[in-house]
Amino acid sequence: MKNSYVYTVVFMLVVSAVFTLLLAGANSFYKPKIEENELLAERTAILYVFDIDQSGSAAEVLKRFDDNIKDTELSGISLYEYSEQGETIAYAVPFTGAGLWGSISGYLGVSPELDEITGLVFTSHSETPGLGGRIDELEYKEQYRGLVIDAGSKLAYGEDGGGQIDAITGATSTSNAVLKILNELLDETISRLEVA
Amino acid sequence: MAETIKEVISRNVWKENQGLRQILGICSSLAVTNLMTNSMVMGLGLTFVTAFSSLTISLLRNAIPHRIRMIVQTLIIASYVILVDIFLQANFTDISKALGPYVGLIITNCIIMGRAEAFAQKNTPVLSMLDGLFAGVGYTIVLLIIAFFRELLGFGTLFGFDVNFIGFETWTIMVMAPAAFFLIGTLIWITSNIFAPGKSKK
Amino acid sequence: MFTDGINPLIIFFASILTSNMILSNFLGMCSYISISGEYKTASSLGKSVTLVMVFTTILNFGVYKLIIVPLGLEYLQYILFIIIIAATVQIIEMAMDRLLPDLHVKLGIFLPLITVNCAILGTTLFMVIRDYNFVQSLLFGLGSGLGWWLAISALAAIREQMAKTKLPKGLEGPGIAFIITGIMALAFIGFSGIFTIT
Repeated sequence: MKNSYVYTVVFMLVVSAVFTLLLAGANSFYKPKIEENELLAERTAILYVFDIDQSGSAAEVLKRFDDNIKDTELSGISLYEYSEQGETIAYAVPFTGAGLWGSISGYLGVSPELDEITGLVFTSHSETPGLGGRIDELEYKEQYRGLVIDAGSKLAYGEDGGGQIDAITGATSTSNAVLKILNELLDETISRLEVA
Repeated sequence: MAETIKEVISRNVWKENQGLRQILGICSSLAVTNLMTNSMVMGLGLTFVTAFSSLTISLLRNAIPHRIRMIVQTLIIASYVILVDIFLQANFTDISKALGPYVGLIITNCIIMGRAEAFAQKNTPVLSMLDGLFAGVGYTIVLLIIAFFRELLGFGTLFGFDVNFIGFETWTIMVMAPAAFFLIGTLIWITSNIFAPGKSKK
Repeated sequence: MFTDGINPLIIFFASILTSNMILSNFLGMCSYISISGEYKTASSLGKSVTLVMVFTTILNFGVYKLIIVPLGLEYLQYILFIIIIAATVQIIEMAMDRLLPDLHVKLGIFLPLITVNCAILGTTLFMVIRDYNFVQSLLFGLGSGLGWWLAISALAAIREQMAKTKLPKGLEGPGIAFIITGIMALAFIGFSGIFTIT
């Protein structure tokens, strides 16, 4: 009985059905929460780029985002604009580029005169946890805040770049990939922005 | 003869520790042992999956047709891993992002299948669950020991807190792969001397 | 759907040398440690893994792009991938038995073991999470397999020689295997200068 074909097939079907239902249930139960988390993470990241306080409950963060930041387009590039009383304080330009293993995406914040970086943030990447993955850590990202950029010159690590930014120990390839993405972004996108 | 609960605990955590004595399940988790927080989450995830899949397999042990045993076990294990993954995504977004594919790799961790085959198939549900639970705990302890040395020497931090009070130069090599191999080799060396003094295995 | 930018050839060589499945991602350790006592066996296992790796990467790529993504079944992907892997191993075994009986005698015993080899599922998951296109995935699968083969053959060759020496108590077997692997991993870091992605 236990080893008959019918029993085997029926058993397999029942087990598959039960577990698929269980997972579908868990998935639909958590889905809104996961999506909410994703939205919140994206918005928090943009607030970080503009150096706006990201603390507080989800509702507070989302409200602060809506109050200060708007989705806009400049010279054909869609980006986020941070303004207070009608005066632009900074732009957050999205980027995506090749990392060591997969694409790295994020936002780079620049001042309206395009001469200073207000912040850098990564929203998705697939670098090795604990190595290249450390680009997500404040210690790395904070280095970029307030960095002066002039047209034509490139960002570089260590002495070459005036000692302002350092690569991540043990993750040279990821660090270089990030720099390459940023330099391309500055060169090809940000320099094209026609600021009023 | 069935083991007592106490025997199950001491066997899994100490005498036959899966990671060090049985050399199982090294694969998926060693990669995250350069940070203690990630190791802890991986260890807990694995413990949860091992405990519940052992429980489920033990409950179904008289109903599972022998010839599709493996595929049913894989299905059960994969389902629990997906639950862990969804749970992490919903509640611990940052950690879930940092661990990436390593959560999914818990499926192929040999410990879970090993406990299912060696224990859960022949024992009562509660005992099987405890067996899985403590196999996971024993393994988590090993991960944490390795992570302790790697994070302390490699970054000068523990669970992300700076403990580098004397300001020593951190060892980059500890962050990278080779250190994990050296550490686990050394741990195996130490434990096999404790358990089989004078007697060499293989 | 397609990530441009990373040259597939770089992925290929990187997955053999600098980001070797075993030496830097720790995947497939169980069989790597337990079946590396003898060079010939280890090399056969390596070949089987490479073969399965290439097939499963192609199949899982198709399943992911044509079934999982369109139907929004991302949450079931682990189950589907592992079933595909198990099925592929079965099919390869049967096909080999029919078409290449000699090879089947040599590799056959290893095939069932491969289903639970973390490196296989790992390759698929890395491919998905890194959003590789078809060519990138194919070369990534091939490179990862070859890298695994290279690592296990090297370890087995060293361990065969090691059998002639006297080791400290307790270090025989898995202990020394891990230490050797550590040294190999160190040596492989030396390759990291070869490819630059900038």
